[in-house]
Amino acid sequence: MSRKILVLAAVVIVAILATYMFYKYFYLSRKTVVIVSTTTSLYATGLLDALAEKFQEKHSNIVLNFVAVGSGEALKRAEKGDADLVLVHAPNLEKKYIEKGVIFNRTIFAYNFFVIVGPKDDPAHIAGLDPVEAFKRIFEAGEKGKALFVSRGDLSGTHVRELIIWKKAGLDPHGRKWYIESGTGMSETLMIANEKKAYTLSDIGTFLKFQKQLKELKILASGDTILFNIYSAYLVKGSSKLKEASLFIEFLKSSKAQKLIANYGVKDYGIPLFYPISSKPLSYLEKAWELLAEGSYE
Amino acid sequence: MNELVSIVLRSITVSGLATLLASLWSIPLALVLTVFKTRLSRVLLDIFNSLVSIPTVVLGLCLYMILSRSGPLGFLELLYTPLAISIGQALLITPLIVSVLSNSLSRIKENVLETAFALGATSSQAYFALLHEGLPLLVRSILIGFNRAIGELGVALMLGGNIRGYTRVMTTAIALEVVKGNFEQALNLGAVFIVVIVLLTIMIRAIGEK
Repeated sequence: MSRKILVLAAVVIVAILATYMFYKYFYLSRKTVVIVSTTTSLYATGLLDALAEKFQEKHSNIVLNFVAVGSGEALKRAEKGDADLVLVHAPNLEKKYIEKGVIFNRTIFAYNFFVIVGPKDDPAHIAGLDPVEAFKRIFEAGEKGKALFVSRGDLSGTHVRELIIWKKAGLDPHGRKWYIESGTGMSETLMIANEKKAYTLSDIGTFLKFQKQLKELKILASGDTILFNIYSAYLVKGSSKLKEASLFIEFLKSSKAQKLIANYGVKDYGIPLFYPISSKPLSYLEKAWELLAEGSYE
Repeated sequence: MNELVSIVLRSITVSGLATLLASLWSIPLALVLTVFKTRLSRVLLDIFNSLVSIPTVVLGLCLYMILSRSGPLGFLELLYTPLAISIGQALLITPLIVSVLSNSLSRIKENVLETAFALGATSSQAYFALLHEGLPLLVRSILIGFNRAIGELGVALMLGGNIRGYTRVMTTAIALEVVKGNFEQALNLGAVFIVVIVLLTIMIRAIGEK
């Protein structure tokens, strides 16, 4: 009979835990839950959790639930009505969704750079070149069997940027033997590039964070406008939490949040992972955004 | 450390609830499909057998479309809650439990039913006897279901969203560490995960087969 008692005990324990979970669910729902669909690079670096913590010091009645996905998926989820706030870094995708009337009130709150990384011996000789020229060289070297390129292949902000650069170079690498579409996140893609001694496009934050494990790779090109990586926050039309979501966007622009962004990662990586918007004139950032939004990749 | 413990507990709770839910309909279903061998039941069993291999992301995506605010059940506001994961996992493991349980019950069916009828049992008593005799098999099928639920990633990621302190479970936590590039941390979590599963499995089996 002890068996039955034990089985019963197991069921009771699960039931109690489940009740607790529901209690927490309703407890959460008494606070205002703002669902933020965000690009992985912001979340995986830990920046968003740090920002949310600061935000909640003042607004303890608002809970921010981050759903970290690629920029493409983040916008799609917003279109389905499953997000109150979007944080993304793919201007030309953003533009499409602005025109569709899904998102509005763009607020640029941080930026950094994409970098072209590649094997240390740089077989395509791209070091210091501008990105478009570098991609042309990689293409040539690839055709000769001297270089490989790993693409994210997942319609993330980084992937879309890569496609824009190929387009600008007037080249289509799809289907080439040396062009590897990984279909994975940035860190896995960097890992693949490292293993295969290949070139790839990465955001500077993920590369720095992961650099210790990327013995074969180094940064070969960066700094150009086309490698400008702009992070914007948007409100989602039809959301019932517009007021709370706006509060967070206001917070992102505040000097407190901007200071946190400016210093984030300095201690661990020597240089910041993201730059605050105050470090560049806003009109400059807006213009760069417009330029990138025009970039076509299809 | 504290966060790790809560993630492990959440995983067990979410998937435990999923297993309880799934058992509610899977056990009677398996029993019916075992006892009544008609053409329909055979077709159903075939369907369940093949659905065992449904990719978790596909199921997750289907349920996402249904539970999304713009979907038919959006008004329930279940998306991004632990309960959504439980429901998804319950549906995920239903074919598995039905299939495994039905297959193992078929093997002891003849003997048990014959004996029961010989002893003068009514049919419902005989079916109950089948379930009773098959208790270790039942525990084993449910356990397999639980292990599949707690080990899956697609449903938990699509429906839960991997929200910290709320819908983050073992598998989504591991996936996040991989995305972050903390492969070592991911492997550590994986090790913890495997230890927990092995301990749970041994415990439940010991209870079920005593």
